[in-house]
Amino acid sequence: MTAARGRGRVATGALSAALALAIAAVMLFPLFWMLASSLKTPQELQASPPVWLPAAPSLDAYRQAFSVVDYGRAFVNSLIIAGGTTAGILLTSLMAGYVFAKHRFRGKALLFNLVLATMFLPPIVTLVPLFKVIEALGLVDTYLGAMLPYLANAFGIFLMRQFIAGIPDELLESARIDGASEWTILWRIVTPLLGPAVASLLVFAFVYHWNSFLWPLTVLQSERMHTVVLALNRLVSYTSAIRFQNVVMAGAAVAVLPSVLIFLLLQRFFITGVATTGVKG
Amino acid sequence: MLTRPSTATWLLLAPGLGLLLAFVVTPVLLTAWISLNEWSMYTPLSGMTYVGLKNYLSLFGDRVFNAALRNTLAYAGLCLVLILPLSFLLGQFLYRGLARGRAALRSVLFVPYMIPTIAVAIIWSYLYSPLYGPLNQVLGAFGLPRQAWLGSVDTALVSLVIFNVWQTIGYYTVLVIAGLTQIPDVYYEAALIDGANALQRTRYVTLPLMRRTLLFVVVIALINTVQVFEPVYVLTQGGPANATNVLSFQVYRTAFEFGQAGRASAMAFVLFLVLVAAVGAVMRLLRGSPEGGP
Repeated sequence: MTAARGRGRVATGALSAALALAIAAVMLFPLFWMLASSLKTPQELQASPPVWLPAAPSLDAYRQAFSVVDYGRAFVNSLIIAGGTTAGILLTSLMAGYVFAKHRFRGKALLFNLVLATMFLPPIVTLVPLFKVIEALGLVDTYLGAMLPYLANAFGIFLMRQFIAGIPDELLESARIDGASEWTILWRIVTPLLGPAVASLLVFAFVYHWNSFLWPLTVLQSERMHTVVLALNRLVSYTSAIRFQNVVMAGAAVAVLPSVLIFLLLQRFFITGVATTGVKG
Repeated sequence: MLTRPSTATWLLLAPGLGLLLAFVVTPVLLTAWISLNEWSMYTPLSGMTYVGLKNYLSLFGDRVFNAALRNTLAYAGLCLVLILPLSFLLGQFLYRGLARGRAALRSVLFVPYMIPTIAVAIIWSYLYSPLYGPLNQVLGAFGLPRQAWLGSVDTALVSLVIFNVWQTIGYYTVLVIAGLTQIPDVYYEAALIDGANALQRTRYVTLPLMRRTLLFVVVIALINTVQVFEPVYVLTQGGPANATNVLSFQVYRTAFEFGQAGRASAMAFVLFLVLVAAVGAVMRLLRGSPEGGP
């Protein structure tokens, strides 16, 4: 009886390990294909059935990708836009999140629900007037134009409110008795207690805006302002033939790498962020 | 104790709410107003002429728009039908089924969610390549018929659905796992004592207690899929024969390529209403049952 059960458990263990491997293979295969293709020769790319591994891996495609589009410049643009937007989101989210968590005023619940409602709004709905507003401000094709509409968002305010609500009121009360202003309390007492929450907002906002496409596509019109994602889009439109697949895949690998690296280094913050919004909705 | 409102309250709220007011609320109202006008994007706002509901009424007979509406609903529906059970099963598997390597598998599942969608679309377009891609080769190895994938009216939309599920499933799985961790073990222990088998425990303990989480998954998935744009823009431009044309893409094209901002705004508003109606219906469906969530 015990032996049978033990054998059953071993079998289940092996089965679930096999299932786990199969899932991992499905998830990783497209990324493997991207890297493998980026190292292949044009001849290998035009073979049918396809060659899975390059016989003599070559970095030529990366050199070509960098010569077709200015990835260096695009990296700087992406860094400035994603970084600036993230900084703005952090500031506005902490400030508004603190008020929604710890201040009391008439209509607060209604106002908070209105803020949350903006999360439902597909960006395409506001795209035309948004573009006209940015155009009227003379900000088309500028960093500020790319960032300005996204410096505050409902997700950030919601996330910060959830975490700040967990801070004991006595802590804030004693600071107030000591004569601290709300501004000081927010930055000196509340923010330092939010370590992981702030980190998860930072990484989420950064990766989200690093990856964003629709708004940059609309507002950044000259090539020298293009982000990495827009540069990749340009590369595809230049070189979509199958023999250039290595160049496009090299370009994709360059665009994918920063987000994946940030995730792998800081993944616990991503998981915290997702889990919090899901559980406390 | 919470503090009473003071100047600080309003000063701290001003930047965030001001930006949302300027760049979300005002543009929505402007879209609503523009949708009632005839206006070319390339002329100043003063060139608008009020036409009432004409833009909306003209959408009824517009074949391209109707195809985009149908495709958007089909895309969102198909994604949902795959994402909901898959994320639930994967979540269960990661949380209860797998003994070792949980964190590693969770990371592997989550990685594609971090990647720019246009990179995902590009990578998959090569996987789908009928002659040079590995997917048809794998199908052939199992004796299955080769597919035209993005090249055929019948399979193009499904091809977009498949890589959306691949890209986002890890995110939804993490949501499910977060929900599962909230269920106290005592419920399962009690069910075991009552002699409930694994299927019964899932049916009578997990599912009822997961209602809120699953509702959240459905709502987020709806919001995300109804606005699909990038793969259509980068890979198919709505083709072949409008088989992958979706509302976001049609709005973009109508406004920025054809310059018909009024018409595009009416389409955008229809998209918004479709989303609100779908989310409303799901909320009623999942909230309405008598058992009630935690």
